[in-house]
Amino acid sequence: MKAPRVGIIGIGQSEFKPRRDDANYPELVREGVTLALNDAKLELKDMQAVVYSLAPDALLGIGNAERLGVDAVGARNKRFMRINTGGATGISSVITGWTHIAAGECDVVLVAGADKVGESGDSQTILNKIWDPTYERALPLGTITMLAMSAVRAMHKYGLTEEDMARVTVKNRLNASKNPKAHLRKVVSMEEVLASRYISWPIKLLDACPQSSGGAAMVLASEKYIKDNKLDAVWISGVGHCSESYYMGDRMGNKIMADHADAHALGRSFERSYKMAGITDPAKQVHLAELYAPFSNTEYHSIEATGVCKLGASMALMREGHFDLGGRIPINPSGGTLCTNAIAVSALVRAAEVALQVWGRAGEHQVKGAKIGIASGNGGDHQFFGTMVIES
Amino acid sequence: MNAGTKIGIAGVAIHAPQRSDTRSLEESIYAVTWAALRDAEFGIEDIEGIVVAGNDELDGRAISIMMASGSVGGVDRDILSTPSAAEHAFVLGALRIASGQFATQLVVAWSPLEVDSINDALKIGTDPYWHRALPQDELATHGLQAGVLEHAVPGVREAAAAIVRKNRLHGAMAYPDRPLGPVEDAFIASGKPTRWPLTDTMVAPPAFGLVAMVLADGDTIAKRKCGNVAWIRGMGWATEPGFIGDRDLSTLPSLDAAREQAYAAAGVTNASSFDVAEVADGTPYQELLAYEGLGICARDAWSKQVASGTYARGGKLPVNLSGGALSFNPVFCAGLVRIAEAANQVRGRAGSHQVRNAKRAVAHAASGPAMHYNTVVVMEGGRS
Amino acid sequence: MELMKRKESWNIGYDHALGETASYFFAQVRDNAQIYGRLDPKSGRVLVPPRAFSDQTLEPTTDWMKVGPGGRIEAFTIVYEEFKTLPDPPYAFGYVLLDGADTAIGGFFRGIDLKNPAQAAKRLALGTRVITKFAEERKGSVLDFWFELEGDGGKSGSNAEAVVGYE
Repeated sequence: MKAPRVGIIGIGQSEFKPRRDDANYPELVREGVTLALNDAKLELKDMQAVVYSLAPDALLGIGNAERLGVDAVGARNKRFMRINTGGATGISSVITGWTHIAAGECDVVLVAGADKVGESGDSQTILNKIWDPTYERALPLGTITMLAMSAVRAMHKYGLTEEDMARVTVKNRLNASKNPKAHLRKVVSMEEVLASRYISWPIKLLDACPQSSGGAAMVLASEKYIKDNKLDAVWISGVGHCSESYYMGDRMGNKIMADHADAHALGRSFERSYKMAGITDPAKQVHLAELYAPFSNTEYHSIEATGVCKLGASMALMREGHFDLGGRIPINPSGGTLCTNAIAVSALVRAAEVALQVWGRAGEHQVKGAKIGIASGNGGDHQFFGTMVIES
Repeated sequence: MNAGTKIGIAGVAIHAPQRSDTRSLEESIYAVTWAALRDAEFGIEDIEGIVVAGNDELDGRAISIMMASGSVGGVDRDILSTPSAAEHAFVLGALRIASGQFATQLVVAWSPLEVDSINDALKIGTDPYWHRALPQDELATHGLQAGVLEHAVPGVREAAAAIVRKNRLHGAMAYPDRPLGPVEDAFIASGKPTRWPLTDTMVAPPAFGLVAMVLADGDTIAKRKCGNVAWIRGMGWATEPGFIGDRDLSTLPSLDAAREQAYAAAGVTNASSFDVAEVADGTPYQELLAYEGLGICARDAWSKQVASGTYARGGKLPVNLSGGALSFNPVFCAGLVRIAEAANQVRGRAGSHQVRNAKRAVAHAASGPAMHYNTVVVMEGGRS
Repeated sequence: MELMKRKESWNIGYDHALGETASYFFAQVRDNAQIYGRLDPKSGRVLVPPRAFSDQTLEPTTDWMKVGPGGRIEAFTIVYEEFKTLPDPPYAFGYVLLDGADTAIGGFFRGIDLKNPAQAAKRLALGTRVITKFAEERKGSVLDFWFELEGDGGKSGSNAEAVVGYE
């Protein structure tokens, strides 16, 4: 049985900011929804199901906050469910929207969410609570320290340097300066990044993502609906997820299945997406990638997980400009998560940006001739990964 | 769903651990996972994807899927989480098979008792903008709904009390090893008010519970010659709006919508075609609303039908033979338990509360404040 | 017009059952200053910290294995930023592969001068040998022990790290 083809017919994202004191949470959700509906030229009543993208309740300070968003997404009496895979939530939500249509359940699905990461005060303290109380919560683990340790292992294994890391920030900020939706848009130099203060060695302030507030949404539709209504669309050709052990210490030591320096499960997730999309040689077939990388060092193992180069080889390619906006395979032409991180929707934005690219609608940060793009989302303690292939 | 889609429930496990200090939550989730796999005669290698559901505030984890993932075989697999409701994990699991992306899914949900105060934990679900300063915890919203219903339907309290008694009697027979609330009329009637008009005898105290189910497509079931399968014939799910004040609590339009979806897919025109039902009964008033929403009984006939034992064991349409949430109340996953219990009926695996020749069942799950989410599943037993 | 905000905080407490496996681990730490791992027979890995089952094989683990007190650094970081309810910076922590173990356990690194990040990072380089140190009074928590560089001869307690205890 062949699953119906699923297209993206509308995209909306806020201009992400450090704080949005002018809007409460449901209003921010509505903002993304309105933009997506306008883009699709549809109304709330046309949406047959809603997949709600919301990561930890704790970042918003409201339990099951999706309930407050029901009206913002026009879901009264409609099919509605919320997804949470940590930071990967946004892409898992889009994939779940795909699932609704591929299952033949409905023809038009709205995927939406928002976040106000800055409103919680200290996201690292909250994110410390994702670790289990049995063994690890007493340690000062947070997403920054966790990924700093990944950098340390990559330095040891592949010779990653702080300059390599800074290079990613420089590239992404330059890209973000061309993206009106991005949060951090100021161009920075290698010197500035290297001179910024250490947060958790070797991650410095300018190697780290911001706390962003804003909403984002997408409207997905079945091929039949798109044809019947003569709509313009881009297509989701591959989806997949994979996850690793929760225990970071298991990604170290002997007989390692997945090294904490790498993103093994992300690679496995891409394999699944590629299989569905019929991609056999990503280095040649993929035109761009929006990879979830909230810290500069993590962009490297994410790139390697896409299979466009071998493990440990991405730093040299980055130095050559291979991944620049004008390069061979632009990575994070939007500026990526490093420049904008509204956690509940960051991975949704990755998919949205790829869609805009292959649609030829990415404005100043457009990758020329982009027809096939890939997106990824990461969640938990580098544990959950979702990936998509989107084509025009 | 896609025409020709066949999805069956091949394994079920419902756990009601009496003690919660001997195992960590992860270990309890591991145990219920294995119980469902063994019930389906599957190994974890036969599972292609997983959907779990837990509540972060009850669990004390900021992202509950993280901790659970290892227990349910999430490593190297495709695993998602639907914290909105446990029954949404079931819905998504079924959709994932229907999409053709997966041949099998494992669905797991749990509701622990490790938090100091469940009421405080769930009260965090109340919005901070208008309502959190009020004593509006989930139980209070059930009370609000009951109060509105008492106003709308004269004599409903008697029917409510009768439902409590009915379900508790069912529970005593179905699971005699589990603790039980008051069964006698006099005891039920003499309860102390907790969230008026609800009395402490009208609801069951929160219990520690876990539930896991193995779903598979028709081809897999045929190839493996799985016995005891509950086929999903129709599924529907919908939501109420977020603010209580925006709702008429005596009605459930989202249940109507969910029912329409499920019945249309299953070709059900009359609820009398069901042999057995498991419906939401966090309070007895919920069960009454379920009768109406599922087309089982309109409100003007509630008193009469309930009094005549129509929905009791031996009646025309036995409802909640498992005892329902009025007997065993694992707050967050009680809804998924309804689906599991109904599945077991048509699988012929309902043990001491099995209805003879149960061919077609309807399950209704409601979660959140005043039945915020409503999900309906129609299932049938048999070879296909 | 005024833009208002409302202050809220979550005050919820939990009593998390540790289960037999973790309870045994912590009792051994508390009573005998000894760290144990559990063998996962299918992969042959000794899992530290121990768990009742392996999440890779989904099989129960079997034998208790003594590990440490020596080990090597598998990952580290040095925190220079202040975070609410976390210790005052700077402090170093990370993961150590104890002798006899196949997976690494988290813990603080003490007794290292952290003022110069590059130098401190060199001293903590992956592969560096460390020794597990135990507190005089132990409660049965991961904070009952920490790691010091082998051959440092008890430099712990320097004012470079102030470790805040957790309940």
